[in-house]
This record gives sequence, structure tokens and C-alpha cells, in this order.
Amino acid sequence: MSRLSSLWRNLVQRERVEHDLDDEMRATLDLLVAEKVDAGLSPADARRAARLELGGVESVKEQVRDARRGALVNAVVQDLRYASRLLWRNPLFTLTAALSLSIGIGATTSIFTVANGVLLRAAACVTDPDTLVDLVRRDPKQGPGVELMSFPDLLDIRQRATLLDDAYGYQLQLAPASLLFDDSSTAVFACVVTANYFRALGVPAAAGRVFDAGDVEQAGASPVAVLSHDLWLRRFAGDAGVVGHTVRINNVPMTVVGVAASTFRGTSVVAPDVWLPVSMVAALSPDGGGQELTNRRIPWLMLGARLKPGVSRAQASAQLAGIGAAIQRDTPVNPFIPQDAPAGVHEIDPSSLVWSAEVASPIPYGLRIIAAGFLGLLMALVGIVLVIACTNLAGVLLARATGRRREIAVRTAVGAGRGRLVRQLLTETALLFALGGAAGLVLARAMTRLLFLLLPEFPVPVNLSAPLDGRVVAFALVLSFIAAVLAGLAPALHVSKSDVVTALKDDAQGPSDRHRLRNAFVVAQVAFSILLVVVAGLLVRAFDNVISVNQGFDPRDVDVASLDLTMGGYTDATGRDVVRRLRDRVRSIPGVEHASVADRAPGPAGRSFGNITVPGAVAQKGSPSAFTTWTLVEPDYFRTAGIPLLAGRDFSDADGPGAELVVIVGQRTAKRLWPDRDPIGQLVSVRPPRSGDPDIAALHSTDASARAREAQLRVVGVVGDLNFGNQSGSGPLVIYVPYQQKYLAQATILVRRTTGVGSLVQELRSAVASVDRNLPVLTTESLERQNNGPVQTQLRIAAAVAGSVGVIGLFLAGIGIYGVTAYAVTRRTREIGIRLSLGAGRGEVIRLVLRQGMGLVAIGSAIGLLLGLGAGALLSGRRFGIPQADPVVLVGAALLFAVVGLIACYVPVRRAAAIRAMEALRYE
Amino acid sequence: MARHSATLLQGTLDLLILKALSTGELHGLGVSRRIEQMTDGTFVVQPGSLFPALHRLEEAGRLSSSWDASENNRRAKYYALTRAGRRQLGQETTEWNRISLAIARALEA
Repeated sequence: MSRLSSLWRNLVQRERVEHDLDDEMRATLDLLVAEKVDAGLSPADARRAARLELGGVESVKEQVRDARRGALVNAVVQDLRYASRLLWRNPLFTLTAALSLSIGIGATTSIFTVANGVLLRAAACVTDPDTLVDLVRRDPKQGPGVELMSFPDLLDIRQRATLLDDAYGYQLQLAPASLLFDDSSTAVFACVVTANYFRALGVPAAAGRVFDAGDVEQAGASPVAVLSHDLWLRRFAGDAGVVGHTVRINNVPMTVVGVAASTFRGTSVVAPDVWLPVSMVAALSPDGGGQELTNRRIPWLMLGARLKPGVSRAQASAQLAGIGAAIQRDTPVNPFIPQDAPAGVHEIDPSSLVWSAEVASPIPYGLRIIAAGFLGLLMALVGIVLVIACTNLAGVLLARATGRRREIAVRTAVGAGRGRLVRQLLTETALLFALGGAAGLVLARAMTRLLFLLLPEFPVPVNLSAPLDGRVVAFALVLSFIAAVLAGLAPALHVSKSDVVTALKDDAQGPSDRHRLRNAFVVAQVAFSILLVVVAGLLVRAFDNVISVNQGFDPRDVDVASLDLTMGGYTDATGRDVVRRLRDRVRSIPGVEHASVADRAPGPAGRSFGNITVPGAVAQKGSPSAFTTWTLVEPDYFRTAGIPLLAGRDFSDADGPGAELVVIVGQRTAKRLWPDRDPIGQLVSVRPPRSGDPDIAALHSTDASARAREAQLRVVGVVGDLNFGNQSGSGPLVIYVPYQQKYLAQATILVRRTTGVGSLVQELRSAVASVDRNLPVLTTESLERQNNGPVQTQLRIAAAVAGSVGVIGLFLAGIGIYGVTAYAVTRRTREIGIRLSLGAGRGEVIRLVLRQGMGLVAIGSAIGLLLGLGAGALLSGRRFGIPQADPVVLVGAALLFAVVGLIACYVPVRRAAAIRAMEALRYE
Repeated sequence: MARHSATLLQGTLDLLILKALSTGELHGLGVSRRIEQMTDGTFVVQPGSLFPALHRLEEAGRLSSSWDASENNRRAKYYALTRAGRRQLGQETTEWNRISLAIARALEA
């Protein structure tokens, strides 16, 4: 019989095989007996001697089975069958265990899903994402930031990087634009990409075509556009006939050549509505100077490429570093790279830049560390709840295994090896965890969606795809497996050590170290739960601090509407007038107390149009010029925003284009530049960006002659500073300049409502429409809701997640305490009966039980609080403003757990109090 | 004679089983008795070692089995050598002889 066919027989025809074996053994036994009888023994003696000689029929059979091919598989299958029967017969246990596991595994997997989608893989709907790389250039010494490259850089890479194919580029910051079709205009977000973008990513068209080699990359050529699937459904009702039609984007006619595939939403975190080729970049920034395709000093593209087959990312990265160094040497430029730090713009030394190829993902390389840190925090939080669930299960499994002592002893007596026993117990645990893991995977999809709901509304459409790919499934499986081993190993090992003889006897006490282990589990659960609650409490406090800090203005009762005037075709010359008209129009809306227009609403972000110099003052780092962030405002802005005017006056309608240039400074600026003088009436010089450098980051400059001159502004007022989580005393220096004297296409209308008036966003929209029908409003909302900086968003999500898992952890810990206390009562029933009959009062019994349960809570709480202090120390190091140790949180957590412990002990205590002495003594 | 059972190496046990069946087919107990007889009582193979070995050899294709009536008319499993089994017997005998000769020479020196 060949090996394969015997394997087949052993696995598939088990009944037949067993039957044969049985027959064989029986025949052997009979022959032995016959032998003995022939030798002269009596039949009874012969039987006994034969059995002895055979050595135990079952034992021999077992050894044959183990020697067979497929023995391992058979054993595992048998274990699984037995385990599933066991789980089926105890539905309550199975359900609660599977549920708590699936929550733990589901939550962890959902965080990993987000991390995977955002950090570890390229965007959705690209072919072969693992061979895509992002090409970045950064200064290793600088902190997190975004690294953009210029178009000539891309051309160089295409030419010189032999290890990369299909180098492409896309714009990271989406440009708001107006799309005019059929006489109605829509606000859209446009993304400029190179002609090979779609082809390099392998994204197909849902209708028409995507950009291809025919779309020349020269300024002004190929006026074509590709729509996003979302926009196509939303605005064009999914009509395939739109392909070939002409639309006007920012008043530039373009032909729609196709629609992108439905699952493709771009390669960054923000999802564009329409893609334009690089030849059309001028349409989105008409004042930009038109040098985007030729000037190496304008970085505006994120670059990516595909690795050639067989090339590793490290190899490509090394080649790219060499190319970058060569380019930097031959044509040194000083790129104007904005960094994320609050102090603003840095001048970069070009020789310190390193070019490299990194894993492609929607988040720019320089910012990944921030995202990773945040997701890591979330992962740690949900990981703790998984640990708690596992500990819970371990304790329960230990209890059950203890209850099956006798069964295990019998099996040991019959001949099962310790390894076999441990394997069987582990199989039960593994099956349970497989169930929990599978359910967790399903739950993860729902939980991921929930996580996204926690995100605030962004003013731009966000592309956060979290696909369920192989990596995520593998993660869930591995996690379940590790959890199963950790949770099941201790009980399995422990119980398989049981001494056969004592186990077979009736045993009411049982060895105490088993109970100590179970108690240890409960203590661990309580400790971790308290840790979670403490961390949740700290996060909530931090969140409270951040949003309640006096930010320097009054966000209540203010509505804002943001516009982009290029969408209406306005330029520097015509825009100022419409701004003034808008302001006058919204002032007349009933219910408006104050109204104004600014370039943006009060917020942590800032933009600058130049440094200011005060004669005789030392501003920053030894240089006489100070970096300042500018806000362009119409008169009445400060009253509308609730910013206090501390000295001098507000702007008036007289501060117009022809009048003297004026400026209002923030208090910090005033103190820094004029520490011992009254700033009102002083002159400041404004140094524009270095000549020859075009304005970057959507700055629209004034006319060329003004750009060359240094301007002089007179200080007319001082206002209070804004504070967005900065340490007191630090923060950017701010100045305010009249809108009529320095124009910008971005504008935000602010209106302060009279007390008692409801939201005016609708009226704002109609007011804008009444001034210009074709000027679309980008976003409208109340100022309070708009305050969603990255710090707040992260804190809010972290606090919500921590709070939810804290509740789950609390619940699980409560169950654990209940379980162990109830068990203790059962175990010590006889002892309680004895005490009662010896004269102990009920109160003493209650105290006895309580001491058991609450003792564990106390120890667990102490450990957990210590862990919480440690966690607080760890978290407070980052710049979230998380307090290191908040006494309210610590005391609150301890009290909370005391209450939970008491509730958990309630039922067992009642049972103990109801014990009657006689019954207890009769109980075995 | 001393009774050695579990100290038999697996390979040696296989060799003895093959040899025992070289003259004809036997059931499990018969193989055990045959080995005992062949080795003059030196090796008494316990059923716990014998039957697993028999099954293993059968699954490896060295033995074939059939069901027949035993001495007391019970349905018993009889084993016989296959061609491959015979071949293995020859190879292993040669090998064994070679080894024992070498060891004997070593012990003499």
C-alpha cells in the first residue's frame, strides 16, 4: 500500500480502519488466551495472563494510531471535534468569551486597518501597490514637514533614474476652482497631475479616457480634464454623454475627456473632484507667474514612481540620493519649503537635502511620523483592552480546566501523554479564539466606519480608504493566535500537571496555587482597566483644556462663509471692490450685529507676505527683521471676531488703496518690537519675499513695482493676541493689514449675530449670490464648529476611543471580579457553614467574602494607578498638553473601581449571606 | 534468557519482522512468537512496539496484509512480505553484516 493511499485511508475511512484494528487486537487476544490454555492454565487465568501480556488493548491501539500516517492530522481533527462539541454544550460561556474577544480583536484590527490604508500602502484602486514609491526630498535634521519637488526636478528624475519607471507627479494642495457647465457653476477641488499619472498608477477610466501620452506637458497645451467618479455622479448624473463636452474651469474652457474609475479617489488624503494636466496649471493660479513648469525654485509637486521589476526600494533610493546630490551640486537652488512647525518658514541649505524613495502612501513621508505616533497611541489603548479580555478568558479557562480535573486524570491514566493533553486544551482555546478572531474581523469593518464618524467635518472631501487587504486579515489571524496561546497556555500547563490520584478522589479544596493564579489574573485585569480609565481621563482633561483655553477671540454667535474670488474670475484689480461690496451687503442682513471680511477666520494657521523691520529694534535671532504672520481684514473685523482693541484705532473705510499704508499689530508684536515705546504712530518697513522668488503657497502678489520696493506702514492700533495651545508668551508675531491695501483671492466673511438670532448661513449664501451669481461659496458654518485643528482632532479621537475602551475594560474587569468572588463563595461554602455553626454572625460572613473580592480590587487598583502615572509621564512628553498626573482623574478612577468592585461582589455576597449552616455542612 | 524489548532500535525491529515473514505469512502474534523463536528467546517484542511497527511497514509498502481465519476461527490479519519488503530485507541484512563485522574487528583490536 503506497504512502498516499494509506494516508487517504487513515483520514477518510477512519471507521473502517478502526474496525480493522479492533478486530486485529481481538484476534490477537484470543490467540494468546488459546496459547495459555494449551499451556495448561484455566480459562480465567489464561484470560488474565493474556491481558497482562498484551499490555492493555487500548494502549496498544493508541500506539498503533500514533505510528500511522496522518496520525497528527487525525489527532488535531479529533481535538477540534471535541473542542467544538464542548463549546456547543456551553453556549453562555462560548458567547461571552467570543464576544469579548471579538471586541478586542475587532478594535485592534480596525486601528490597524486605518494604519495600513494610510501609512503602509498606496492609495486604493492602483495596480500592484507594492512597487509604487514616493520620491521625496528632505532635510534629515528638520522635524516633520512636507517635501515638494519642482517640475524640472521631475524631468531630471525621468531622465536619470534608470531604476524607476513612469515617474509621475501630483499636486498635494488641492486648488479650489469653479466649474461652469450648462450655465451653472459648482465649487470643485482640482488636482493638477502629470500626463502619465493615471497610466503609472494603473487606474482605468470609468468612461471616456484618462490622460495619456498624447497630452503634452507644455504650458497651455491639452486643455482637457478628467472628472472624479463622485463628481460625475453628483453633478452630471452619471451621464456618459458628458465625455467630449466643454466646461469652463475658472473661466478657462476645457474638454472633459473621461471619468476616473469609481474606487479611485486620488493619491493623497484629500479627494479631488477633477484632475487637470500640468499644462493647465496656470488656470488654477492666474497670478502665479506661469513658471511652474520651468522654474526649479518652485516646488509644488509630490512625486512618485514605479520600481522596475527586480529593483528594491533601497536600491532605487540610493540611486535617487546620488541624482539629488548631483543636481544640487550642479544647479544649487534654495527652495522655498514651508515646514509644519509653528515658527513658520525656514530657509533650507540645499546641500543638506537628501533625496530618497519611500513606501508610497497617501500621507506625505515627512508627516507620517505624526500619523504613526497617533495611531500607535490608539493601538496601545485598544491593545490593552484585548489584554484584559485575554486575561479574563484565561481566568475562566483555568476555572473550567480545574473543573475537568477528573476527566483529565482519567485520560492521563489511560495513557494520554502530557503533550497531547496540553495540545488538546490549547485546541479548545484556539477554536474559541478563531471564532473570536473571525467575528472580530467582521466587527472591524463596522468599527472602522465608526472611527471615521468621529472625524470632524472637513472643508475638503477626505480620501481615507481603509481596504481590507491580505495584510489586515493576516494581522487579525496572527493576533488571535498569539492571544490564544497566551491566554490558554497558563491554564493548560497548570492543569495538565495534576496528580492523577488526588484528582480522582473527591476533592473540595483543591490546590491553592490554582486559585492564586486565578486571583492574579483578576488583579491584572483590574490593573489594566484602571490604566485605561486613567488614560481616558487624562485625554479628556487635555481635550477640555485645549478647547476651553481662552483663544483670544469669541467664537460664539459668529457665522463664517469662505470664498475664493478667482472662482468668480476676479483679479487683483477687480477683487477689492467686490470684497467691499460683500461686506456692505452682509451688514444689511437682519440679525447681524457686526460684519467683516478677512482672508481667513481666526485659527492656528498663518500666512505671511514678508518680514517687518523696525529701525533700531532687534527682532528675531539677532536679525532686525521679524517674521510675522499676516491677516488681511476689512474694517470692523476685531469687533466681529471679539478680539479686544487695546490701543489706537481699528481700520476705517478711509484706509484704502491710495491712502497711507497702515498696520495694526498684535500685543506680543508690540512688546517685542517696541518694548519701551508706544507703538502707535511708529513706522515699520516690510521686506517682501526675496526678489526673484515668486510667491509660493497661493500667495498672490501685488504688482511688480510694489514687489521690488520696501513698503512702509504706519502702526495705528494694537489688539489682543490669539492663543491656540501655545505656551504663554510664545507664539507667532501677528500683524493685520487692510484688505483694500493688500489683496488676496481667499476671503472669509464673518458675521456676529445679535444675541438670540439663529444661524445665518443661508442668508450669507443668498447675500453672496445677490452680489455675484457666479461666485460660489466654498463652506459655511459657525465659527465654533470650525475650530478643528489637528491637535483637537487627534485629542478628540483619542479621548473617544479611550473612553469607549475604558468602559469595555471596566465591564470586563467587573465580570472578572464577579467570577472569582462567586467561585470563592462556592468553594468556601463548607467553611462558611462551619463558621456559622460556630457562632459567626452574618455580618462576619459578608465581611469575609467582601475581603476576598475587594482585596483583589485594591491590589489591582494600586498597580493600575501606578501604571497610570507612568502612562501619564509618557504621554505628557508630546505636545498635546496632556497633564502628567491629574489628581481628579486618579482619585476618580480609584473610586469608580471601588464602586464597580462592590457591584460585582453584590450577588456573591448575597448568596453567602443566604447560606444556611446545615445545608452548607451537608454540601460536599 | 534476558528479556529485551523496548531497547530494540526501530531499525533492528523492522529487520527482525521482515526476516520473520520471509518464510511465509503470519498474523501479528505469530510474528512475535517467530522472532522469539528465531532469537532463541533473547528478543521478546511487546505488542505495544510490534503492532505499530507492523502497521508502519505495511503503510510503507514493505508488507501486504490480508484477512483470514486464524487458528481458532477468528478473523485475523495476516502479514506477508512484498517484493519491496524482500528487497529491503536483503539490503538490510547485508548492511547489518557489514556493521557487525566492523564492530567485531574493532573490539578485537
